[in-house]
Amino acid sequence: MSVYLEKLAEFSGLLRREGLTVGLRETEDACRLLADWNLTDRETVRCALETVYAKSREEQAAFRRAFDGFFVSVERREALRRRHEEEAQALAQRRAEAERELQVNGHPIDLREDLQEVYIRMGEEKRRELMEMLEKTRGTMDRSPDKLYSSFIRSVFMRFLLEQQMVMEDAAVGCEASDPDLALLYRDISHFKDADVPRAAALIDAISRQLDAQLSRQRQTGGHSGKLDFKRTIRRGLETGGSFYRLSYKRKRRTRRRLALLCDVSGSMLQFSEFALRFLKSMSDVSESSQIFLFSEQVHLVDPFALQNMDAFRDYVRTSGLYGRGTDLGSALEQVCRRPGALGPSTTLLILSDTKTIDIPRAARSLLEARRQAGKVLWLNPIPEGKWPYVRSIQTMSALCQMLPCSTLDELARACRKLLR
Amino acid sequence: MDISSLKARLDAAQYVCDDGLATTLLVALQLGRPLLIEGAAGVGKTEIAKVMAGALDRELVRLQCYEGLDESKALYEWNYQKQLLSIQVRMNRQDPDELTRSLFGDEYLLERPLLRSIRSEKPVVLLIDEIDKADEEFEAFLLELLSEMQVTIPEVGTMRAKSVPFVVLTSNRARPLSEALRRRCAYLYIPYPDVEKEVAIIRAKLPHAGDRLAVQVAQAVHDLRENDAILKKPSIAETLDWVSALEALGISDLDREAARRTLGFVLKSSEDMEAALACEEAPDHHHCGACGHAGQP
Repeated sequence: MSVYLEKLAEFSGLLRREGLTVGLRETEDACRLLADWNLTDRETVRCALETVYAKSREEQAAFRRAFDGFFVSVERREALRRRHEEEAQALAQRRAEAERELQVNGHPIDLREDLQEVYIRMGEEKRRELMEMLEKTRGTMDRSPDKLYSSFIRSVFMRFLLEQQMVMEDAAVGCEASDPDLALLYRDISHFKDADVPRAAALIDAISRQLDAQLSRQRQTGGHSGKLDFKRTIRRGLETGGSFYRLSYKRKRRTRRRLALLCDVSGSMLQFSEFALRFLKSMSDVSESSQIFLFSEQVHLVDPFALQNMDAFRDYVRTSGLYGRGTDLGSALEQVCRRPGALGPSTTLLILSDTKTIDIPRAARSLLEARRQAGKVLWLNPIPEGKWPYVRSIQTMSALCQMLPCSTLDELARACRKLLR
Repeated sequence: MDISSLKARLDAAQYVCDDGLATTLLVALQLGRPLLIEGAAGVGKTEIAKVMAGALDRELVRLQCYEGLDESKALYEWNYQKQLLSIQVRMNRQDPDELTRSLFGDEYLLERPLLRSIRSEKPVVLLIDEIDKADEEFEAFLLELLSEMQVTIPEVGTMRAKSVPFVVLTSNRARPLSEALRRRCAYLYIPYPDVEKEVAIIRAKLPHAGDRLAVQVAQAVHDLRENDAILKKPSIAETLDWVSALEALGISDLDREAARRTLGFVLKSSEDMEAALACEEAPDHHHCGACGHAGQP
């Protein structure tokens, strides 16, 4: 029995490493089940333990993986061992190959260890592409072997590897979601297909309704100012025969913030801006009044009522000449700052952009000026947070204002909750 | 009780369930843990609580959650009118301290579902339906009940459960539930049934329905659920309604015309109906559910 319990404790540890929140209580429950039920059928054991350990669909998927890996028959364990050995051998062989391939003019390319791993794990086709690119530039490098050119080649090479790393990270994220609706909530907005849009819109409506309800509750239970409202207390006391059973307090005056939205609608940002606007518009009570500025190379102030219909929003962006242009955030922010009454101490400036802009120093200067004028500046960034370290403009901008990741609908909802506070 | 006997009891209550579901229910029951059931609307989450009440021969106490639900609706409320009346009547006849104490007795306590379930002498099945519709504060309020099987009423003190209820919480996943709530529950996810299981459900609930019709309807509903353009997927209850409607019209074979005439029993919005019919008329159309020829044996 003690061996049995030891194994179970080990299994609990494995589940923790898989990301499940397993406490003593779960392990205790599992022990009780196995001791009391005298289970012999593997499927029943799996199902019983899954009920105890896994607390969501995602955890169920992780549990099944861990269970299948942990409780294996002798034959399967032997087969797995053989497979692992083969894989380890193949990996060692690829490492040796990579060492030979990752050379320029007989010298190994100076690459970080994690990027070397990315290269080793890349598909055959991608590696061939990369080698072809190196091969093409090899002649030029031989002719002009100056340092500048070879460092340029190395930077191109590293960028390619970084992109591959991002693709691999995305693929891993995609595997985790198993429920279509849940997957939609956690999927990168830029990966939405046309067929997903109606479901995403329904999901946004549901979340916005909750946010609206949350906001109205905050106001209902927003507390009193501490001062007794004599008139109302006496009037309510009449209902209970003159006893002051329920006291009434003076309500706090509600000051709602004004919102200025600066939406990037350049090619890559259109879909995200559309979703973000849909969110913000549906939270009808978020702000006293809002001004919406759309920008790419120029800035347009838009009537919020004209954007009620999202088809109209797309049409507007396409006909305004903003779509498909580059991004000049610095100029856009300067124009917003210069506009009388656009920003002020009670205004929250909300920037929806991926930070990819021309003239980053100018954009940074304008952002500082906007921060000085507005009460609060929040940046909603559709690039997943994991990729931020690879993008220089994000590092610059996030140092200057609060930046929130909004690559998924779930993150967008969280950001909106933050906006309510 | 073991898995097979629970399954037999559920079968007797005409609830079609597999070994996995029966195991999960029995684990939650024997460990005394609340059971959190998630799944799309209409897959039979609430039904589980009802049939468990029948199978265990217990009373079903139901708490329907909604936005703004608070403890006065879920746990208890004092009967203020009765208290005031009592004060007026007994003001000069009783010791004031005694009077105050008596005002917070059982006589003035209005029991709501949660309190009723833990004060019941016999164990009950407590259904907390659509917990995702309640507020996060209410979720936090439930934690004491779910983990300790006790509730605290400030004027009275802590009340421990006289009998441990079998608690079933259901959620349509309209919002993620807190980690703290999940930790206190056993978990069950119910997907839409496959065609085979849905045929079994139709046979169990509508034994007079023809076999051919049952298979055709189950296949058609399955196809409708697979259709991405349809937003509100048909529930099991709607499948049963559809079969009943077809039977009432004397239709024993689900052909295209019959499906078109009765589609309103299974799709409840004009957009979804249009999407299903548009899919049927598409040149590369295979099976969408609305055409009625899917899955003919």
